[in-house]
Amino acid sequence: MSKSLRRTHLYQFHKQNAKMVEFAGFEMPIWYKGIIPEHMAVRTRVGMFDITHMGRAIITGAKSEAFLNHVITNDVSILTPLSAQYSVMCNENGGIKDDFVLSRLELEKFLIVYNSANREKDYQWLVQNSRAFNVKVEDVSDNIAMFAVQGHNAQQTLQKIADADLSRIERFKCGWTKLADEEGFVSRTGYTGEDGFEVFVWNTPLSNPEKAVKVWNAILEAGKEFGIEPCGLGARDTLRLEAGMCLYGNDIDEAITPFEAGLGFVVKLKKESFIGRDILTKQKAEGIKRKRVGLRMLEKGPSPRPKQEVWKDAQKIGYVTSGMFSPLLEGGIAMAYVSIEQATEGEAVTVKVRDKSLKAEIVKFPFYDPTKYGYARQK
Amino acid sequence: MRVLDYEIPDKLYYSKEHEWVRLEGKEAVVGITDYAQKQLHEIVYVEVQKEGSEVKQFQTMGTVESVKSVSDVFSPVTGKITKVNRELTDSPERLNEDPYGKGWLAKIDLTDFKKDMEKLLTAAQYADYIKTMET
Repeated sequence: MSKSLRRTHLYQFHKQNAKMVEFAGFEMPIWYKGIIPEHMAVRTRVGMFDITHMGRAIITGAKSEAFLNHVITNDVSILTPLSAQYSVMCNENGGIKDDFVLSRLELEKFLIVYNSANREKDYQWLVQNSRAFNVKVEDVSDNIAMFAVQGHNAQQTLQKIADADLSRIERFKCGWTKLADEEGFVSRTGYTGEDGFEVFVWNTPLSNPEKAVKVWNAILEAGKEFGIEPCGLGARDTLRLEAGMCLYGNDIDEAITPFEAGLGFVVKLKKESFIGRDILTKQKAEGIKRKRVGLRMLEKGPSPRPKQEVWKDAQKIGYVTSGMFSPLLEGGIAMAYVSIEQATEGEAVTVKVRDKSLKAEIVKFPFYDPTKYGYARQK
Repeated sequence: MRVLDYEIPDKLYYSKEHEWVRLEGKEAVVGITDYAQKQLHEIVYVEVQKEGSEVKQFQTMGTVESVKSVSDVFSPVTGKITKVNRELTDSPERLNEDPYGKGWLAKIDLTDFKKDMEKLLTAAQYADYIKTMET
């Protein structure tokens, strides 16, 4: 692998224990034991991912709320300090620049965590659009390590090394806490569909990785009694797909609007103005022509994969944007964009996989039974 | 022999695409190597062309899927498929567990193995090839 790839604080751990791949300019673990056991650890117990490769920026200043309300689609004014929200930002055509989680640290201080593949693009976009506002946008990506501890034993695991009472941090809330005696911040968010936290180890530059390594090891040790597994990017992808969450570059991009992507819940057209508002208002009134849906394969066989065509009777109605073997359902699942006329739950369609037409059904997200798996499961 | 982390049985022939060939009279049994299964990891689906299909050396004879990827399998020999390993339909993990045994893919009635052999590797040659892949 090329020497120019970036590495995280945990590089030595990954190198020793995982199969490594290039991802968004980073050398990252794709799996340690395997995608399937790591996936199942998160669905049934707890798993931990190094997500330090993601981009992070801090926005400060008296006008930071006004600035963010201009650049993103969700309503920032409803965020109280130590709360987080999922959101997107759009270009002038209403296409999605990126999706991310925004946390309000203080009244005039926000933390935004965006996709690693968009690190430079997002930072430039934020800086460029901040000029009319009196705010500071600071890229803190290389100064903070970030881990996702996910699964229904995540709170019990982290509580063993945290000084704050984590049971008081509800979903999409955040808080400061010592973690293994180091300065940390946690938010009850994630990319797996499960309950869990995203953990930030503050002030740990890549050149001085000790703090990050210490917290990582402490979490693994604390999670032992629950059967914690370190998890790679492979399981991160299978988990988010089962949960029905978008992957930027696959399922959403600058040519797709939040309404088409089924992300209308983060678009607040009542806000006075924000980038993309005019076109999105028009699209809301006129209706969309295509929509993101879930597909579940009805027969044992090959799994659907990105770019494969989706057909209804003798008509091509769309294409797959993410597709793979679901470790939980033990069959093929996919996300696809299909014409709005056919984008109905229960609709029977086919997916062209190489020389075959395979039967599939349009299903709702998440793909799993939310009473048995995921953050809202019944005990 | 064992090279690095990979099993490479001595009496088989190998392709650079990581398939193996075992001679059984005028038939050949073919499959994917230990190196290939370890790279693919967690194989969840296997598909081989139907019995009776003609296959040419180094042309696609099937597909192997892992959770996140799809890979072609190339026939290491020219001939006609006489038997495919049906057990793999329900138990694709056999390819991971026993790539040279229960994970065999197909039996092929050979057209001209002498000619095929010119482009195949011995175990020792394949071992050297694997070493170059890993460095």
